[in-house]
Amino acid sequence: MLNINKEVTGNNLTVSLEGRLDTTTAPQLEGELKSALDGKTELIMDIAELEYISSAGLRVLLSAQKTMNKQGSMVVKNASDEVKEIFEVTGFSDILTIE
Amino acid sequence: MIRIEHLKKQYPNATPLKDVSVEIHDGDVISVIGPSGTGKSTLLRCINQLEKPTDGRIWVDDVEVTAPGCNMNKVRQKMGMVFQSFNLFGHKTVIENIMMAPMDLLGREKQEAYDEGMRLLRMVGLAEKVFNYPDELSGGQKQRIAIARTLAMDPEVILLDEPTSALDPTMVGEVQAVIRDLAKTGKTMMIVTHEMNFAKAISNRVFYMDEGGIYEDGSPEQIFEHPKRENTRRFVHRLKVLELNIESRDYDFIGMMNEIDTWCGKNQVAPKLKKRIQLVFEETTQLIIPMLKTPHVQAVCEYSEQTSVAEWTFRYAGAQMDLTQSDADLGLTVLKGMAERMEYSWNETDSLPNSLHITVK
Repeated sequence: MLNINKEVTGNNLTVSLEGRLDTTTAPQLEGELKSALDGKTELIMDIAELEYISSAGLRVLLSAQKTMNKQGSMVVKNASDEVKEIFEVTGFSDILTIE
Repeated sequence: MIRIEHLKKQYPNATPLKDVSVEIHDGDVISVIGPSGTGKSTLLRCINQLEKPTDGRIWVDDVEVTAPGCNMNKVRQKMGMVFQSFNLFGHKTVIENIMMAPMDLLGREKQEAYDEGMRLLRMVGLAEKVFNYPDELSGGQKQRIAIARTLAMDPEVILLDEPTSALDPTMVGEVQAVIRDLAKTGKTMMIVTHEMNFAKAISNRVFYMDEGGIYEDGSPEQIFEHPKRENTRRFVHRLKVLELNIESRDYDFIGMMNEIDTWCGKNQVAPKLKKRIQLVFEETTQLIIPMLKTPHVQAVCEYSEQTSVAEWTFRYAGAQMDLTQSDADLGLTVLKGMAERMEYSWNETDSLPNSLHITVK
């Protein structure tokens, strides 16, 4: 189960994730982001309520980061210790901007 | 010596003993361990004929106790039994409980039986309770009296059927201490117990019972440290096992993740470890399945309550494919990050020849 919440303020987009970002839910986030990133210069991923992430989820974050590199910036916020650990073992803590 | 050949015990709705053959040597101190309902007590009760075997033969020394017309009273004098529930006579004093059988069955004089009874009471540390009634004693004291009563018949063999299971935990130690002393006297003993450390400490031989018989028979060192067979290992390490089978590319991923979740909850796996167990399952299956022609994977997770360690074993069909050596992939990186240890092996003769063993961090 993954709940995705989007909030747009001008060119800023905040996406809040709640639940699990895994093999079954990653395509859902991918789909949501596809069009939503158009014309945005700032993307905030609030993952305070994200309890689980697998490589399938990481791939979606990576692809969002690549898109935002071209048109602005992306920040990942409020990661739990367990999710942070996954970022660390995969080297994502160097690729993503984690606050 | 006790010799058992093809012992079978069948009840209307269960067969705890399917086919047991074993020899018990003089002086053996045998701990009988295993899950509930595997016939441990039944085995003891068949030996002294409290249960009539459905089939098979049992010899005690040279007497076949299963033969029709066998004088069981005579055989039972050689075999003492200590029960979970003590079975003392409530209307008799402690010393009367102990003196009764030697006087009635062995024809001992009253004074002789009393002296011997007192000696045994001192041995179990309860001489001061000589004129008390069982109701005035604690569970641990009752069981020590029951042991003294068994010894009063000077049996060659002592069978103990879960002697500490009915006791308050604070009293287990005092009874175990008495049994421990007893084990040093050279008498042949068989004890059904759930206390692994106790079994390890007192016995020279351990029967692990499962699947309708003595599944593994060995020294305490073998059974507890290096068990040869799968069920023994799982039992002594108190492993909880979850098996998931994938037989199609469209396997129920969500259902399986839920199953892992429920299983972890049931076995009090820490939430952090639970996520890692799930992550290892997800990454491994996602890596393996696309590479298999026939997506046949058996995933088994074992969790040790003792050490709180979880281990996955993935066995899969197809050609030799060592995941740990494959090209760098994000999934593999996550997997390696979550693994304390990864080990791949290949066994050609197996129907699922690839095997990947992962100790979860």
